[in-house]
Amino acid sequence: MSNQPDILHYAVSVVGKDRTGIVAGISEVLFRLGCNLADSSCTMLAGEFAMILIVSHPRPFGKGHLFDELKPVCDGLGMSLAVRTLHPDEAARQETRGEICMVSVYGADQPGIVYRVARELAGLGVNITDLNTRLIGTPAEPVYVMMLEAALPDGQTPETLTALLDNLKKELNVEIGVRAITPVAL
Amino acid sequence: MPIQPILHYPHPVLKKLCNPVETIDSAILTLVADLIDTMHAGPGSVGVAAPQIGVTLRVCVVDVSASRNGKENNHGLLLMINPLIVSRNGAAIMREGCMSVPDYTGDVERATEITVRFREPEGNEREIIATGFEAVAIQHEMDHLDGVLFLDRIVSLKTGLFRRKNYS
Repeated sequence: MSNQPDILHYAVSVVGKDRTGIVAGISEVLFRLGCNLADSSCTMLAGEFAMILIVSHPRPFGKGHLFDELKPVCDGLGMSLAVRTLHPDEAARQETRGEICMVSVYGADQPGIVYRVARELAGLGVNITDLNTRLIGTPAEPVYVMMLEAALPDGQTPETLTALLDNLKKELNVEIGVRAITPVAL
Repeated sequence: MPIQPILHYPHPVLKKLCNPVETIDSAILTLVADLIDTMHAGPGSVGVAAPQIGVTLRVCVVDVSASRNGKENNHGLLLMINPLIVSRNGAAIMREGCMSVPDYTGDVERATEITVRFREPEGNEREIIATGFEAVAIQHEMDHLDGVLFLDRIVSLKTGLFRRKNYS
């Protein structure tokens, strides 16, 4: 195996106040450069539009060139820009093993909900693959909602995870639900 | 009977409207046998539709009896020629994957109970009420007969919890 793979991968993140034309502006640069948008997730967070992109390009190519081409467009759109070169091992698709679960956590807002739940899951070998949080409710009674998808380690089931999270649920006085969402192959 | 290769999108056959079977002849019986063998060859596969092996006819096979989600509630091996859903009830979302669209899954809403009428290879007409995972599998395979992929039915990107408010 060569240490110099033919395809280079970059992690690009772009964040800024939402407006029309952000995706068009960024993707136009990538298209013009001949980049491939290998994977991406873009969403609105509060009033910010956040883009995380995995971009690939055959050699010869450089991170500096990619940054220099994206920067003026990001500046024009009022967006922050970060570009990182991925090690070839990082760019490979990682298949999640084990049961995939949706973990829902919600309750009266308090500091540390995300941290405590994530720390507990990490200790159990549960790998978070997707996470969304929102503050809902009213200013007088704010409610925190966290929805995450996670891959369970071998031997763990939604039922066993639910039982293991029971103490934390009582301590934080929040609701914690675990449901299997492992895709069905058809 | 030989296992047939599963076609992957963007093979054009997967987006074709399939034709009804006029007469159940030896070619149809061979097709059904090939579909069964192909289904059993796919890891964890619970169904295959004729267009997935390149045949634009309204034939599919479904068998969820060996699957975790369907083993408690199923009609065994279903050989469906010209299947027609005559009624549907309820709705539930399940994350589906498809052998013809590898490496991608998505949340799809399906009826939880269907009454489906079809002909069997022996020529008789049969009507069953399928529920749960078997109902999902039948709807997924029957979609193939209309050139519809689960990608056409995805209802949310990852977590479809709710639209975020704009706080600005």
